[in-house]
Amino acid sequence: MKDKVFFKGLMTEATICSYCGYCRSVCPTYEGVGWESCSPRGRLHLIQMLLEGTTLTADQMKRLYQCTLCGHCTQVCSTRIDLRQFWLEARKQTVLRKLSPPEFSTTLDNITKTGNIYNYQNDERAGWIEYMDDPPDDLYQRDRAEVVYFVGCLSSFSPRTQRIAESFVHVLNAVGVDFTILGEGEVCCGYPLLAAGMHDEAQKVIEQNLERVRATGATTIVFNCPACRVMWLEEYARHLPGVRMLHSTELLANLIADQKLPMKEVNRIVTYHDPCDLGRNGGVYDAPREVLAAIPGLQFVEVHERRERALCCGGGGDLEMIDTTLCGHVAAQTVKKLAATGAQTIVTACPQCVRMLTRGTEQTAPDVSVIDILELVSETLDWPL
Amino acid sequence: MSLKKLTTISADRVTEDDIERKLYSRDLAFVPPIMVKPFFQTLPDAIIRPGNAEQVADVLRQATNENIPVTPRAAASTSYYNSVPVHGGWVLDMNDLRDGIEVDTVQQTVRVLPATTWFDLDDALQQKGFAVKSYPSSAVSATVGGWVSMLGQGIGSLRYGGVGDQLVSLQVSMPLVRGELRTITRRSDPPLDWFVATEGTLGIITRVELSIRPRPVAESHHLFAFDDLNILGQSVASLARVEPRPYTIFFADSGYLRLMQRAGFDIPFELPQPAFPVSNKGVLLVSFQGESSEVTKSREKLLHTAGKELSSDLALDEWNQRLHHLRTKRAGPSLLAAEVWLPLKELSHYLTSVKNLAERSRLLIGTYGFVVAPDTTLVMSLYPTDERRTVKYLAAIGFTKRLHDLAARYGGRPYGVGLWNTAYLPRLFSRGQLTELKRRKTLLDPSGIMNPGKVYQAPFPLWPITFVPGATMLGALHLSLGKDRHEG
Repeated sequence: MKDKVFFKGLMTEATICSYCGYCRSVCPTYEGVGWESCSPRGRLHLIQMLLEGTTLTADQMKRLYQCTLCGHCTQVCSTRIDLRQFWLEARKQTVLRKLSPPEFSTTLDNITKTGNIYNYQNDERAGWIEYMDDPPDDLYQRDRAEVVYFVGCLSSFSPRTQRIAESFVHVLNAVGVDFTILGEGEVCCGYPLLAAGMHDEAQKVIEQNLERVRATGATTIVFNCPACRVMWLEEYARHLPGVRMLHSTELLANLIADQKLPMKEVNRIVTYHDPCDLGRNGGVYDAPREVLAAIPGLQFVEVHERRERALCCGGGGDLEMIDTTLCGHVAAQTVKKLAATGAQTIVTACPQCVRMLTRGTEQTAPDVSVIDILELVSETLDWPL
Repeated sequence: MSLKKLTTISADRVTEDDIERKLYSRDLAFVPPIMVKPFFQTLPDAIIRPGNAEQVADVLRQATNENIPVTPRAAASTSYYNSVPVHGGWVLDMNDLRDGIEVDTVQQTVRVLPATTWFDLDDALQQKGFAVKSYPSSAVSATVGGWVSMLGQGIGSLRYGGVGDQLVSLQVSMPLVRGELRTITRRSDPPLDWFVATEGTLGIITRVELSIRPRPVAESHHLFAFDDLNILGQSVASLARVEPRPYTIFFADSGYLRLMQRAGFDIPFELPQPAFPVSNKGVLLVSFQGESSEVTKSREKLLHTAGKELSSDLALDEWNQRLHHLRTKRAGPSLLAAEVWLPLKELSHYLTSVKNLAERSRLLIGTYGFVVAPDTTLVMSLYPTDERRTVKYLAAIGFTKRLHDLAARYGGRPYGVGLWNTAYLPRLFSRGQLTELKRRKTLLDPSGIMNPGKVYQAPFPLWPITFVPGATMLGALHLSLGKDRHEG
């Protein structure tokens, strides 16, 4: 259902909540935990109790963080509460009351000290380029460019998802896009901080990234991480008037429409998983499908739970930092549905989804592979052009 | 209590946590503690989440042995405390008994676990070429077992009857036989109809078998605007009798449309800004489903429908919002309601009387409903309030009696009983019916452990001697406090 959503403050929306339970029916973590306190309506009333003065412990408030911020609850809410916004504000209140999970202090320390969630030296952020066959001398780091490719922490540092960044620069290079990456000048987009309720800390990294992007003179910023894109659209865009912010699939779809992306035939049966932050929270459903449709020979089978009703990979909302078991459960449930399509490969468009769904296949569908759409396009690119 | 004796249930399926118990002690409607705490123990002693029917049986066996009250609960999407304990004890969170969908394509029946939502069941059936026959307007969360327990009537009931008409069998864990699972059919002893609409007071449903229909090939939706509630009511009654029968008929008055507008949503047509926002206007949506030829033929029945037909896009929008009437709550932030069965021939009178009451008392009241049989409609009259203002909210709660009384003038009676509607037992059942229901209860649940305090007898605060003057006084207070803040 497409409809307006509203957020008029935590207490007002908590009063408006009808307790109908629509949210509960679609919540992937409630499905895994099973207690009312882990349903969206339960979490909402925990926050109401907290704001009304009930003494709650950090352990009890952990329920608020057993949530991937997938946005499915917002999609179905019978009183049209923007619940994703509600959870972000609620987490902020939890931080103010010093009731957030202690695990988040590590994330904060990592980002504050190093500029990334992994606690690597940030000058290794472009280290993945060194694994590439024939990188240019400037390692794709140029002073000025039309397009900035904001790589994000996952694709910069996580070994499995570095291949996605590699694939994307391969494609950008092949089609002659004037682009740059920011190298060590890029820091975490701030989304993990915002999701943890640490709004002030997020503001600091936002300012660093803004300064670096402005210096390039870019008119477009492109992301392969949907969470980075949503973060930039919601928190950075007002500071960068006139700058387009695109997901990689949107850029690819544009290139395909302009017939600038010739691809070879691929004989494979694939399905597509809509990442929550690209689809429900980011509004991009068609672009990845246009890309898949343009690959000759590809057999694309849609999963029943798709687009607005897509399932969650389990990896959003900082859940992985506090409850990896629950993440794994959600991922496994989602993979079961995706694998039931008969696809050999699950294609998605998010590095975190690639990580989580890969974990899910290990548990439930070991014969099914998971790749990012950029990897698929890079493999099938009819190169040299 | 002997939670430790529940040998089949692992510790992670049981909780006595204070906060958790608090979350299980409410349902859809917020009720101020002052109305609850002195009289009822709504906080369960423990919550148990059985994972299968055998575990349900184990819990019921233990509860029977030790005389522990048991309240079954799934979506808890009703508002009469049907699934909220009033004598403590154990709440059985049934939500893990879901899915398990087995379709018999020849007999056109489905077996399903009771906590499956109607939305999910229909979604699964549609993928196999079938559909449910009828479903509640809260289908996204309302469960199959829950609707059976409530004598579900809703969308599609005009064409296919209520859920009671579609039942083939139930599997029930019964206290009479210490939790043992029994298959109940129309010919069994006790028979199927004993368990319908008894709100979990005789046993716990652990599996449901229903008749289903082939997935409709075609559907069409038609939305009409009316300037006269009398004509709207007559048109609804007239369309309910046409053959082939419409799948459903929905109607709403101007108060409902105004609530929707105040909640921030678009409505199908512009409402004028009169001195008071309730008028004679209203809408009617009639939907047909079935074979293409049948749907085409059905459309011809609309030629003589009074009212102005609005665009097909608006009709489709209205149909697509059929599960989202609670959007009106944004006009609150709280919303109270009286939900009643009403003879269809009295719909015009009821709608007009509600409008007159609203106008004279300057209260915004919105009414909508679904026709559930050729002679019966379910009607919901809603009014905004604010639960954060206790006195005002208590007065607003009292006002529901005024609306129930108004409906009773036209042969209306409350939908569902639970705790709060026991105040209206004489309207719900004849003396003979109630005696028979009590006999069945005594026979099947001799210790009275199943969902005690519901359905059969009003507790002290809801006795006529206390309820009638109390609710009347509060209702009068609402009439003086609740004046609409007119924006026009």
